[in-house]
Amino acid sequence: MAVVERPRSDSDLSSIINDERYRSIFYQILVFGIIFAVAAFLVNNTLTNMASQGKAAGFDFLLGTAGFSIAWTPLDYKPNDSYLFVYWVGIVNTLIISGISIVLTTILGFIIGILRLSKNWLITQIAAWYVEVLRNTPLLLQIIFWYLGAFANLPRPKQSVELFGADWLVLNNRGLYFPNAEFGELFWMTAVGMVVGVVAAIWYNQRATKRQLETGVYVPTWWKILAIVIGLPLAIFLVTGMPLSWELPVLKGFNYQGGTFILPAMCSVLVALIIYHSSYVAEMVRAGIMSVSHGQTEAAYSLGLRPSWTMRLVIIPQAMRAIIPPMISLWMNVVKNSSLAIAIGFPDLVAVFMQTSLNQSGHAIEIVAMVMLFYMTVSLTISACLNVYNKKIQLTER
Amino acid sequence: MTDAPTTSDGLLVFKPKPSLPPPPATTGVIGWMRFNLFDGIYSSVTTVIGVLLIGYIAMGFYEWAFVRAVWEASSRNECRLSPTEFGTCWAGVDFWFTRFIYGRYPDAEVWRIDLAALIFILWMAPLWLPRVTAKVVVGLSAVMVFPFLAGYLFLGGERNWFMEIMVALSLTWFLGTMLHVAVCLLLNQGLGRLTVRLSGFSSRDDRFHKYPVIVLALIAYFAVYFLIADWQMVEVVPNQWGGLFLTLVISGIGIASALPTGIVLALGRRSQMPVVRVLCVAFIELFRSVPLITILFMATTMFPLFLPKGLVFNNLASVIVAVCLFSAAYMAETVRGGLQAISKGQYEAAEAMGLSYWQSMGLIVMPQALKLMIPNIVGSFIGLFKDTTLVSIIGLYDLLGMINAISQDPQWIGLHHEPLFTAAVLYFIGCLAMSKYSQHLERKLGAGDRR
Repeated sequence: MAVVERPRSDSDLSSIINDERYRSIFYQILVFGIIFAVAAFLVNNTLTNMASQGKAAGFDFLLGTAGFSIAWTPLDYKPNDSYLFVYWVGIVNTLIISGISIVLTTILGFIIGILRLSKNWLITQIAAWYVEVLRNTPLLLQIIFWYLGAFANLPRPKQSVELFGADWLVLNNRGLYFPNAEFGELFWMTAVGMVVGVVAAIWYNQRATKRQLETGVYVPTWWKILAIVIGLPLAIFLVTGMPLSWELPVLKGFNYQGGTFILPAMCSVLVALIIYHSSYVAEMVRAGIMSVSHGQTEAAYSLGLRPSWTMRLVIIPQAMRAIIPPMISLWMNVVKNSSLAIAIGFPDLVAVFMQTSLNQSGHAIEIVAMVMLFYMTVSLTISACLNVYNKKIQLTER
Repeated sequence: MTDAPTTSDGLLVFKPKPSLPPPPATTGVIGWMRFNLFDGIYSSVTTVIGVLLIGYIAMGFYEWAFVRAVWEASSRNECRLSPTEFGTCWAGVDFWFTRFIYGRYPDAEVWRIDLAALIFILWMAPLWLPRVTAKVVVGLSAVMVFPFLAGYLFLGGERNWFMEIMVALSLTWFLGTMLHVAVCLLLNQGLGRLTVRLSGFSSRDDRFHKYPVIVLALIAYFAVYFLIADWQMVEVVPNQWGGLFLTLVISGIGIASALPTGIVLALGRRSQMPVVRVLCVAFIELFRSVPLITILFMATTMFPLFLPKGLVFNNLASVIVAVCLFSAAYMAETVRGGLQAISKGQYEAAEAMGLSYWQSMGLIVMPQALKLMIPNIVGSFIGLFKDTTLVSIIGLYDLLGMINAISQDPQWIGLHHEPLFTAAVLYFIGCLAMSKYSQHLERKLGAGDRR
């Protein structure tokens, strides 16, 4: 039977339409065109609107005087500083609360996650309810709850709550007061000693591990490491004449003087961020440990490893592979969620720059772009750092 | 054999050893407690600590919520001066409860919200009835057609030509769906089939079967259109919307729009076309790396600049657009996770069967990917539901905003804790219901995968 083939020619329109290459180029031009048209429309509107309101775009306003005071900042900010400095103050405040929250929430989350896997039924239930309640209520509500329910009702400075019975760690309606370290002239030597000690300890530990791998002889290293890390800086510290003193907060008149303090609003933001995100960390830790098959535990036991060693050398390293990737996005979430501090008046980046500065100067586009740039930089940095670590510990497959 | 006990005439006597004591019970309440609560010294100590902790919290809560409760008062001061000093002012919560739910919506018009909720429930309910056919159409229409009717019920006022058409369409569709469900339940047969049979077209060729259905639908549509032409309700401007109602409107629209846009973005991100891919990656990464609050601020400050002169967006519309963009970016990453989990063999098999790109995605890949990602999809819905509280920061009166507003009312000034607790319970119930339903759905759809 003769097969009649349709004559093909390149000029045939339908063959061009059905050719995947041409079609894909056509779609891309179409998409690009639509996006470009929409963008051009928006930009044109913006320019027209700004012209009619008599506004000029540009970053000149950043050098103008801000003129408002900021309730809390570790920097030396005064109301007659520039908007650029306000931006910097906001960044520092945001980084401080998110940094503290990230560290503490990870620790607390690990503890809760391990408690959730406890053999004790009651403890498991308590941990499970902790996670359920915290994950199923909005963070903003929790922040407001901690603020109005706990930290806004604190007594006046005269009736301060002394934490752990210490009169230099007090909590009152002005904030949490704690001592301020004052470094003497020779303190840098102690710091150098600390760095040297840590480096030496890492080097010693690596050598011991290498030796164990080569000869099979296990030498306990932990007390030697402890001696190097703590002993060396301590010795230098004592020799140089203890160049460190504490400036304690002291009640003078109606308020405490000296020391460092953080606002009640900051306390509530920190507590809320730490507790809220710890429930997510707990779930990640639990899922990570559960993802290691029970055969691993049994194999380790049959090799004669103790339960604590099994956990440390077999289970945790494998669980970390499952824990690290979600942890990356959680840490980024902590940085992003720290912006909710605005609801109770803590001066973070969004509050001082995107709200107060924007309302005063009216430069919406520039300010929104700068704030977004900051958050994008932080997010991309965190994810880049953790991706490197993640690559290192991932299973090396053939 | 001298030691073995013998009788006087020298015979060996069997003497059993005393039996061992019974092992500790491993069943029953005692056994369970021994195994799960008092298994060793550490376990016992932690159990005692846990019991003390629970007891402390429960006692504190009982005293706050019940012992000091004041149920009848007309101001916060009355609660404070009540016999139980500094009483827990549930009277305030009771007084304001309708405001928590409906915000500042006029009392006389509140039935409109209830009616819309009832219509939505009736529209969605058939999805859980096994005898109803064409569930996909019913479900999709509840998400895509219902909003026009709901929008008009909420907003009221005069309808422009577009809303005139869409409200009539929405109402017709609703009535048709209800009729369809009734027919399905009574006759075990879809409305379309019944129409064909009654019109006598069933003897004809299959091609002609759609005609009586179309004619009937058109007649119904025009009947409804002209019947409601003069129907008009009082206008309620969006500034008066609030409470749980506003929370549900914002998160509902966000959730409904997130899945389709998220799927498109996820496919775009995995596309072979560089321009499409770069645009999708840029959009997703931009919106995922900044906090929602900055997007909301951007919406309220920059959207007015973007729009042509004369067109004014109210705050609510800007917020809804912002929430939709935000949730789409998150959903895109969730869907992408699902797409990556599908093995390459599935894509290749679909291609080998001669399916086009959209067919292979729609029929082979997406159903598997979405099923796999149900926990994560519901997780991001829950996240969105919780995140809508942020609109209170930019001045909308959602549930949390309403609660903050109440504590500033002169009569009830400083009433924070009780309303906050109520809101927390409402959010907790909503989120827990969603997550439990997702677990149920996961079990139901994963039945084939279980060994």
